[in-house]
Amino acid sequence: MNAPRHILGTFDEALSSLRNNVLMMSSLTERSLDRAITGLMQRDDKMCAIAIADDEEIDQLEKQMDKDGIDLLLRFQPVASDLRRVVSAMKLSSNLERMADQGTNIARRARKLNQHPPLPEVDLITPMYTHAMAMFKDAIDAYVREDVELARAVVPRDQGLDDMNSAAGRRLIERMAEDPSQLRGYLNLIFISRCLERVGDHATNMAEDAVYAAAAEDIRHQHSTSAANG
Amino acid sequence: MVSVAEMPESTSLTVVNQPAPMPEPQVERGMIEIENLDFKYGAHQVLHDVSLSIPARAVTAFIGPSGCGKTTLLRCLNRMNDLIDAAQISRGSIRIEGVDINAPGVDVVDLRRRVGMVFQKSNPFPKSIYDNVAYGLRIAGVTKRSLIDEAVEKSLRSAALWEEVRDRLHVSGYGLSGGQQQRLCIARALAVEPEIVLMDEPCSALDPIATAKVEELIRQLKQEYTIVIVTHNMQQAGRCSDYTGFFYLGRLIEFDATAKIFSNPAQRQTEEYITGRFG
Repeated sequence: MNAPRHILGTFDEALSSLRNNVLMMSSLTERSLDRAITGLMQRDDKMCAIAIADDEEIDQLEKQMDKDGIDLLLRFQPVASDLRRVVSAMKLSSNLERMADQGTNIARRARKLNQHPPLPEVDLITPMYTHAMAMFKDAIDAYVREDVELARAVVPRDQGLDDMNSAAGRRLIERMAEDPSQLRGYLNLIFISRCLERVGDHATNMAEDAVYAAAAEDIRHQHSTSAANG
Repeated sequence: MVSVAEMPESTSLTVVNQPAPMPEPQVERGMIEIENLDFKYGAHQVLHDVSLSIPARAVTAFIGPSGCGKTTLLRCLNRMNDLIDAAQISRGSIRIEGVDINAPGVDVVDLRRRVGMVFQKSNPFPKSIYDNVAYGLRIAGVTKRSLIDEAVEKSLRSAALWEEVRDRLHVSGYGLSGGQQQRLCIARALAVEPEIVLMDEPCSALDPIATAKVEELIRQLKQEYTIVIVTHNMQQAGRCSDYTGFFYLGRLIEFDATAKIFSNPAQRQTEEYITGRFG
């Protein structure tokens, strides 16, 4: 935020606190997803359990952010860029919480997978995870630095993740047909792939919110609008 | 004597001793156009090159820090500044419904009937509620009781005060609460059937409930009147107005739809003022 400080110092403090909570929540979410994927890749049930337990803290932070955001709206009645920052922070926290839920889902699926022999197809997940997390980090960076171009650039990257998810799904369905004894394992991998695809969706939402916060522009659903108009 | 029914109904201002210019075809009732306006108190220039069109039958808010010229501009709209020595428009024009209100021969009394004003502090006359509202009509020469009765009731209803005072029309206006007094002043302004109502911080001395009533009244009045309101209360400007002009150091920095001004103003100074970063 390069804008001059508010005359009312408590307003700056409240905005700063909200922003810090977004950062805190995003780092916890990132850690939770990282632990879930580590639990999957290293077949580490303990790590999976930690990832699942992480969710509680993130849930509480979401509630705290909602409370702080409403409190800020009530006390300071922000307008213009301040209002956009508050609204975006509250929306970001909702997306972060749902993103963290995907981490929990991945950890639960990983624990199930860990009960059976390893599947080489787990390698399909790695590039998806890398892609999703890069989108996530860029969306958060864009929000924090109010970098509209970076935020805009995140949105089309979701298609790449969707394609990877589709390709992984096709491959895993083929494997189910080839090796029905591992059907449950492949199904769990399909679900994990879908979780990562959802992480990408949330990162996209967050990038869209970052554009709104910085430039007051609503870039959501533009592809569907243009398709409908076309 | 002139009755309400006989009061001029033309939409252009009355110009004494010269024919009123023909209204331009596009001119709308209650529309105000300000062009390149400079205004001075003696040698001190307080408005610099202000140009804007105030839309008819909408609420326009002027906001800005103290001393930015918003009240001066408001008072220019019905030539209230004429009453101040050495105050003068040094350049530019204000046209109401296409007529330059500062042109020689414009009837200022008629202008002020057409452009009513409500002040920061309610200022009822030391008269009854009825007589307060009837005052402007009587000045205009209306004497017929039934016409005055009708106008008083209509004005009090328009000012959302009728139900509260209908049983005590002949008690002093001073007996009303602050909010009621302000609505009485609005009724008084409406009684002479203006096209434009100017409001200079009309709620600054009112409690939140009285403020809400005046704001609701403003919302209803804009169906028929052009309303220009000066306010220091940004939330009030956001709630009440359709258009907002931000003034700073005598200049109009930005004028746009209120939703745009309060969500994404184009000018940095506007943004910093409305978000409380300077003022």
